[in-house]
Amino acid sequence: MEGRKVSIMKRVLLLVALVAGISLICAAGAIGGATYYYTSQRGAGCAGCHEMADTVCTVHVSSHRTVGCFDCHSTGLATKLRHVAVHLSGRLPEVIRLRDVNVVEMTAKCQSCHQREYATWSAGPHSATYAQIFTNAQQNAARRLMDDCFRCHGMHFSGPIGEMVQPLSLEGPWRIVRAGFAAEPTMPCQACHWIHREGLPATKPTAHFSVAGARVGESLAFFDRREQMHFAIAELPLPQIFDGPRPVGISPDQRQALCYACHAPRPPEAGSAAARRNWGVQAGSGDDRTPLGVHEGISCFACHSGHGEDTRASCATCHPAMSDCGQAVEKMDTTYANPASKHNIHWVKCEDCHTRGVPKPLHRRSGL
Amino acid sequence: MAGTASAGAICVAGCSCRSSSRWEFLSDAQAETLAALADQIIPEDDFPSASQAGVIVYIDRQLMGPYRRHRDAYQAGFESADRISREFCGVALAQAPPPIRQEVTSALAEQRSDFFELAREHIMEGYYGSPRHGGNRDAVSWRMLGLEEPPLRGRAKYDLSKGAGS
Repeated sequence: MEGRKVSIMKRVLLLVALVAGISLICAAGAIGGATYYYTSQRGAGCAGCHEMADTVCTVHVSSHRTVGCFDCHSTGLATKLRHVAVHLSGRLPEVIRLRDVNVVEMTAKCQSCHQREYATWSAGPHSATYAQIFTNAQQNAARRLMDDCFRCHGMHFSGPIGEMVQPLSLEGPWRIVRAGFAAEPTMPCQACHWIHREGLPATKPTAHFSVAGARVGESLAFFDRREQMHFAIAELPLPQIFDGPRPVGISPDQRQALCYACHAPRPPEAGSAAARRNWGVQAGSGDDRTPLGVHEGISCFACHSGHGEDTRASCATCHPAMSDCGQAVEKMDTTYANPASKHNIHWVKCEDCHTRGVPKPLHRRSGL
Repeated sequence: MAGTASAGAICVAGCSCRSSSRWEFLSDAQAETLAALADQIIPEDDFPSASQAGVIVYIDRQLMGPYRRHRDAYQAGFESADRISREFCGVALAQAPPPIRQEVTSALAEQRSDFFELAREHIMEGYYGSPRHGGNRDAVSWRMLGLEEPPLRGRAKYDLSKGAGS
C-alpha cells in the first residue's frame, strides 16, 4: 500500500516536471521569437499596435530614421506591460509622448551618439539641474515658486510645482521632493530638439559648411509644456522689441526664435513710462537679452555657441575685422571681462563710457 | 529584452481580435467618408484642408474617449451621407466628384441636420482646437489666424510674495 502511494506520487511529480519543462521551452521560444520580431525590423513590429503606427511612420522620415526604436526607448518589462495594458484596455492617450521619467532617461541615450554636443551642453548653463534651479535661495527668497517656472525649466515634468519642490514659500530651506529628479537637467535635449521631426540624417559636412547662411537644424524646436508638443523653429515668432519708443533692430536669424521662447521680454509694468505711452515690450525686460547699442542687430548665435552658450573668443568673430574702434574690446569694462561690471555686454553703448562725446574711431581718424 | 518579448507576445495576441483599420474606431471607408465631408466644410486653400490638418484623427480618437456617446450618430450619419451620394451619382461620398460632394453635403445638412451640425462642430473643434488632441496638425490653423503660439512672454510677473490674498 505504502509502495503504491510512492509510485503515484512519483508519477505526479514526473507529470508536473514534464509540464513545467514544456512550458519553459515554449516560453523561451516565444520570448526569443518575439524579441527577434520586435528588435530586428526597426519599428515595424512596434507599428503593429495601430496607435503606435503614426509615431513609427514619423520616425522613418525623421533625421533619426537610421536609429531603431529600442536604441532610444525603454525595453523594460514594466514599460512594456503598461503599453500592453493600455492597448488592450482601449484607454488610449490622445497623443503618444514620453513621460517625464522617460525624458530624463533619454538624455543618456542622446549622449551615446552626440558625445561632443552632450559635453558642451553639460558644461553650459542650460544643463542646470532641478536642484540648481528650484532650490536657488536668491531666487526663491525674492519670488515664490510657481507652475509657470516649468515653462522653461522642467517643461517635461507633468505635475504641479508642489510635487517638485517644497516649501512653496519665501522661507527655505527648499528641497526637491520628487525622487530621482534633483540631479537631472531641467532643460534636456528634448527641450530644444524634436527628435522625431521630419528631416534627413545629418552629415558632418552640411553641419559645418553652408553657402546659404546660418544653418537651421531640422530638429530645432521648442517643447511647449501647455500644448505638450514641439513647435518647429520656423513656426516660432521673432518678437518686435522696443527701446523706449524706438523699434530695436533684430537679426533675422530664425534660430533666435528658440532663445526668445524663454528669454522673452514682458509687457511694460503698469504705471511705467512705457505702459503709459504704449511703447510696446521693452528690450531687457523679463529675461530678454536682445542686444542694443554697439551690438544691436546681431544674432544671439554670433556670440553664443549652440549647446554650451559659451562666448569665449566670440569677440574675434567681428573685432577687429568688421568693427574696430582701436581698443582691445575683450578688456573693456563690460560684463564680458567682468561679470560685476555695470555695463552689460548685451546693451553696452559707446556713450556709457564716453559720457562727454564719442571720439572718432582710430581708423576713421587716419583716413583708412 | 524578456519584457519586450513577453509584452510583444501578449500584444500580438491582443491585436488578432481587432480590425485591420489604421483608425482606432472608424473603418477605412468611414474615415474616407468623414474626410470627404470635412473637406467640404474646411477645404484646402493656402492652408491645409480639415482632413489634411488631422481632423479625422481628432474625431477618431474622441470617439474612443469622451465622444463614445456619439458613435451611433456617426454610424448613422455615414450611412446617410453615402446613401444620399448614391442617389446623386451612384457611388459613395468619398468616391463622388467634388461638385457632387458639395451637393451631397448640402442635402445632408437638410435631411440629417442633427448629424451635420454635430459633425461640423467636431470638425471645427479638430481644426481650431489644441494639437494635443490629434487635430490642428502643427498648429496650422493658429498660424492661419496669425495667433502667436506658443506666446512669447517673459517670466510671469505675478507677485505672489505677499500671499494669495494680496
